[in-house]
Amino acid sequence: MLVRKIEQGTVVDHIPDWKSGLVAQVLRLNRLAMLGADVSVAILQNVASKQLVRKDIIKIDRWHVDESEADIVCLIFPSITINYIKEWKVSKYEPRVPDVIEGRIRCPEVQCISNAEREPVSPEFVTWKKNRILQCRYCDTLLSFDRIPDYVKS
Amino acid sequence: MIADFKGRDVVSAKDFKRAQLEELFRAVDDLEKHHGSLEGALKGKLVALLFFEPSTRTYSTFQIAARNLGMKVSGFSDAGGTSVSKGETLHDTIRMFEGYGTDCFVIRHKRMGAARFAAKIADVPVINAGDGSREHPTQAMTDLYSIRKAFGRIDGLKVGILGDLRYGRTASSLVYALSNYDVEISFIAPESLQIRPEVEHFLNERGVTAKKETELDKVIGGLDVLYVTRIQKERIPDPTDFERVRGKYEVNLEALKDAKPSLKILHPLPRVDELSPDVDATNYARYFTQAAAGLPLRMVLFTYVLGGVS
Repeated sequence: MLVRKIEQGTVVDHIPDWKSGLVAQVLRLNRLAMLGADVSVAILQNVASKQLVRKDIIKIDRWHVDESEADIVCLIFPSITINYIKEWKVSKYEPRVPDVIEGRIRCPEVQCISNAEREPVSPEFVTWKKNRILQCRYCDTLLSFDRIPDYVKS
Repeated sequence: MIADFKGRDVVSAKDFKRAQLEELFRAVDDLEKHHGSLEGALKGKLVALLFFEPSTRTYSTFQIAARNLGMKVSGFSDAGGTSVSKGETLHDTIRMFEGYGTDCFVIRHKRMGAARFAAKIADVPVINAGDGSREHPTQAMTDLYSIRKAFGRIDGLKVGILGDLRYGRTASSLVYALSNYDVEISFIAPESLQIRPEVEHFLNERGVTAKKETELDKVIGGLDVLYVTRIQKERIPDPTDFERVRGKYEVNLEALKDAKPSLKILHPLPRVDELSPDVDATNYARYFTQAAAGLPLRMVLFTYVLGGVS
C-alpha cells in the first residue's frame, strides 16, 4: 500500500491496529471538513509494522496537529509516534505527559460542576501517569487513559 | 499553625494535615472549657451562607456559629424563591455576594466539585458544607474531634464505616481525614455501595490499607468506632433488594450483641431507620454529642480562616 511522502504536515505513526478511528476522533479531524481547510488525510489501517506487527498510520497533509492534542493521543496510545514534516524534512515530536489537561476532555461524572450548563467552568484533569488515569480537579472522578476517547469534547 | 488556616479555603478533608487538625481540635477543647471566650471575635465580618440544597442542621450550625462570633450573616438556606431558582449560576451568585462585601462563603450545592469551583472564583475563603456526594470536610473534622474526645486519641483505633459509602459525602471526607492517623479502616457496605474508586486511589497513594466487608456481624466484634450512614432507597432500584440490604445494615441492639463494651457509634444525622432509637440510651451512642461538637468546631474554624484570633 503506497501513500506518497508529504511536504508539510503531520504523520501519526505506530497507532495500534484498527485504532486510527479513535485517534482521528481525539484529534477532531472531522473539524477539518467544517473549517474548509485545504488539507488531505490518509488513513492506513492494519498495515505491517516491524515494531507492532500491525499498525495504523494517519498522514495529514498541510496540517500541524497541535502539540497539546499530540500529547493526549500519546497518553492514550503510548506506542504512537508523531512526526512533523516541514519542507520535506521530518522532525520527531517528543510528547510531554501534561500534569494538567484543561478543556479538551469532559468529566465522566454527569453531576460534576464542570458539566453544568451555563457555568463558566472548563474541565480540568490531573494526570497520574503511573496508574494511567486522569482525575477531575473538581469532583475527583477518575478516568482511565483508555477511556479518554469517549469523553473528548468535539 | 493558626497561620496555616488564615485565608484558606476549606474544600476538601484531603487538604488538611494531621498537625493542622490537632491544632484545630485543641482550640475546640479550649472553647468547650471556656464558653464565651470567642464571643464577638469576628465582629463586623460578613459571612454568606449559600445553601443551594436545603439544609436545616448544617445551615443552623453555621448560622449560630457565625452569630456567636458577632458576624453578620447573609445568604439562603434553600435556593427556592431566590434568583437561583430562576437559573442564576453559582458563578454569578458568588460574584454578586462578593460585591456586597462578603468576607467568607459557606456553600452547599448539589453538584460535585461546586465548592472547588466557588473557591476558584471567590477572592475570599470558601468553606464547603457539602458538594453533591463528594465531600463534607467540616463534618469530618467534627467526626474526628468526637472520636478523639471519646477515646483521648485516634491512633490505634479500628474504625468501621457502614452504609452508603459510594454516595455518602460524610464517609468520603471522614476517610480522607482518618488517613492522617494510624487507624484500621473497614468499609462495611453492599458491593454496589462500596467506597468510590477515587477514595481507594487516595488511600493507595497514601499507603493506607482498608478492608472491604459486606457483613456487619463479621467485623463488629473488633471495632472501636462504628460510623453509621443511611442507605437511601433510591440508590437500590429493586425494592426487594433494598429491603434485603437494609436489614443487613441496620444498627440495633441485636446487631450490637457482639460489640466491644467500649464501642462508640457515630452518625452524621439525620437518621431514619438505620440506627435504632434503642441504641440511644446505651454507652455506645455518641452521635448526639457528635452533633453538638459541630458548633464549637465551626466557630473555631471561622476564627482560624478569618484570622480573628492571635
